[in-house]
Amino acid sequence: MFERFTDRARDVVRRALEEARVEGQRPVGTEHLLLALLADEAGLASRVLADAGVRADDLRERVRRHTASGGAGLGDADAAALREIGIDLAAIVARIEQSFGPDALREAVPAPRRRWGRRRYLGGPFSPRSKKVLELSLREALRLRHRHIGTEHILLGVLREGNGLGALVLTESGVDLDDLRRRVELALRAAA
Amino acid sequence: MSQATELAAAAGSTDPRVGLRAVRALRRLLERLEVVQVDNARRQGWSWQEIADTLEVSRQAVHKKHAGRPAVNSSWEA
Repeated sequence: MFERFTDRARDVVRRALEEARVEGQRPVGTEHLLLALLADEAGLASRVLADAGVRADDLRERVRRHTASGGAGLGDADAAALREIGIDLAAIVARIEQSFGPDALREAVPAPRRRWGRRRYLGGPFSPRSKKVLELSLREALRLRHRHIGTEHILLGVLREGNGLGALVLTESGVDLDDLRRRVELALRAAA
Repeated sequence: MSQATELAAAAGSTDPRVGLRAVRALRRLLERLEVVQVDNARRQGWSWQEIADTLEVSRQAVHKKHAGRPAVNSSWEA
């Protein structure tokens, strides 16, 4: 599927694989693609992102907030969400640990739910969502009548998919996804 | 605004993202609490039937969900 990718875009995919590997046993998610795009500082995608006020270290921190887990095995973002409805996660953790020992909640890992009728994800290098992003990057290139897939098409893919952690942290950092898409297309026209 | 009404306001936030995110976090918390409490009940010698009755689910459901887990760590003394 990567035949049409430019060398730059291939490097981004390679870096996303590396990002996921460093993080542990996780398939490449849209957030890894986004962080890899940002690391390619001279690429069109990362220039557009920088112009839109996106900072790599800020996004990395936001991703960490969503994936890292605190005392309850839940992320900081979970704790914040629970606070919104009046639940103090720290108090619950403290009470449980008091009765059942340190890290009792963290170690209480629920078994993954089996979903019958849905094909099981067999753990390729890409998450289903990031695979979708890569497919969409091809579709974006076709739509724009470009023969190659560059970093900017991968970014358009992330934006078009719209529901991954990549898109979420962008939104959280105050970026309007539609506006960002327009910026990419504008930059493409200027470059043409 | 008192703290209680502030919390009530947040709980009633009309932004679906806020509400749904909270539901998701709550579900994660629930899953973990269930593991902690079911393990504790088993350590104290409760049968699957007793646990199921208390949770108001079927014995099969509890068993399927929790019986496969490796033996619970019983070294901790409260």
